Amino acid sequence: MAGNQYSRNKKNPGHEDAIVVENLSKRFRIPHERKITVYQHLAGLIAGSYSYEIFDALKDVSFSVKHGETFGVIGPNGSGKSTLLKILAGVLYPDRGTVQMNGKIAPFLELGVGFHPDLTAEENIYLYGAIMGLTKRMIASKYEEILDFAELKRFENMKLKNFSSGMAVRLAFSTAIQTNPDILLVDEVLAVGDESFQRKCSKKIDEIRREGKTILLVSHDLGMVQKLCERCILVKNGSIMSSGSPERVIEEYKRITGI
Amino acid sequence: MWLMQYRDLIWNLTITDLKVKYQSSVLGFAWSLLNPLLMMLVLFFVFANVFRFNQEHFALYILVGIIAWRFLANGTSTAMLSIVAKPSLVTKIFIPRHILVLSSTLSTFISSILEFCVLIPLLFVFGANITPYILFFPIAHAIFFFIVYGLSLVLAALYVYYRDLNQIWEVVIQLGFFLAPICYPITIVPPQFLPYYVLNPVTILIETYRNFLIYGLPPGLRSMVYLVISAALLMIFGKFVFNRLERRFAEVI
Repeated sequence: MAGNQYSRNKKNPGHEDAIVVENLSKRFRIPHERKITVYQHLAGLIAGSYSYEIFDALKDVSFSVKHGETFGVIGPNGSGKSTLLKILAGVLYPDRGTVQMNGKIAPFLELGVGFHPDLTAEENIYLYGAIMGLTKRMIASKYEEILDFAELKRFENMKLKNFSSGMAVRLAFSTAIQTNPDILLVDEVLAVGDESFQRKCSKKIDEIRREGKTILLVSHDLGMVQKLCERCILVKNGSIMSSGSPERVIEEYKRITGI
Repeated sequence: MWLMQYRDLIWNLTITDLKVKYQSSVLGFAWSLLNPLLMMLVLFFVFANVFRFNQEHFALYILVGIIAWRFLANGTSTAMLSIVAKPSLVTKIFIPRHILVLSSTLSTFISSILEFCVLIPLLFVFGANITPYILFFPIAHAIFFFIVYGLSLVLAALYVYYRDLNQIWEVVIQLGFFLAPICYPITIVPPQFLPYYVLNPVTILIETYRNFLIYGLPPGLRSMVYLVISAALLMIFGKFVFNRLERRFAEVI
């Protein structure tokens, strides 16, 4: 569409960087009064003006992530981290700037997207797998592995609405991890299930990292960012305040927030 | 090509839709058959005995009209909600959003095909004039699919922004039911209105269904061309509107 140079290039894994973001800007218009019906729109026409607040979620953000790198994004609430992640995932469209994703991406913005309570665990694995971009055949070949990892073999024919939330999230993580992406976009979802399952998840993430996959991690858990990431950026009010080694960036973050 | 890449997902969503729909009621699929049959009985009683219309095979005439109309009415009104009904698939992950509309329309389409399948024995029972022209039926139904899909794309995209659209559409569907020749013969339409009356593609479509299924008549070239053109225009319009509105779905949903 006119005036937009947004591109998602998934067919170019040979490019030296996995993620290239250039001059990315996103502006939200937040109406004072949200009109969501025809009636309200018609009433608004008669009553007069349409007033809204402008909120610049991202202002001219540029950075790049190399293949095989684990890259952290930190920042206070409302700084634009989630907006950035959603644009990278292709959910939101930027107003200006370009995004290049060189490789197959798996967005972990939320686990269990599209899970249906009235379906069984088995049906949900196939549904969720398809949503995450797996073919039916691929899911079938990984099916046992998914159930084993989730430790839910006994419940394979139980409807999801009878699952505890911990069980559901375990099922989701185990399925999602099978997508075998080149680039992982992760938003604070690593803390799932009980402690032993969390350890298993961290191990799996570590394994993926060692396989040379690119991971972009958005987190408030500074300890985890320091432990996992090789590079890191600090986002505040929609701009990059600082970038570089996690130690330095976290130091900066602590300084500006006054912790 | 998105259709090939996402075919497993499209199929999975379609089947899930059907499963959930037929699981949630005890009689399941039987209800969706009983509904048009009971409807037909009511309308047949009213229009054959009270209005005394004289139309050959009037019971079948009404039944074909109702089953065809049900695809449009149910298809558009469920597909309209398909984007809003699955917000996490819009805001938490990227999939081409028209897949949601497509799979919803597909699941109603499958229900509709099953309803027509049950109609076939009734055609024999009521002594319809069955000829090889009945084989043209799938072509007509495929054209109808694209008409409903095109409309649904527009409605589903607009519904994200206008949440009372379903109330408005319900009235439009009610009106449409009487503006198409479903429960009365086309001959009662006053001749001065007839040229406008037959501009409605649904009118042409329902008449075409009856020609194939009940009266054993060949397809009219002009009506078929008209139907294909209407379906193509609706699809182009639907895609255009949907692509325009789709960009801000994740912000307003």
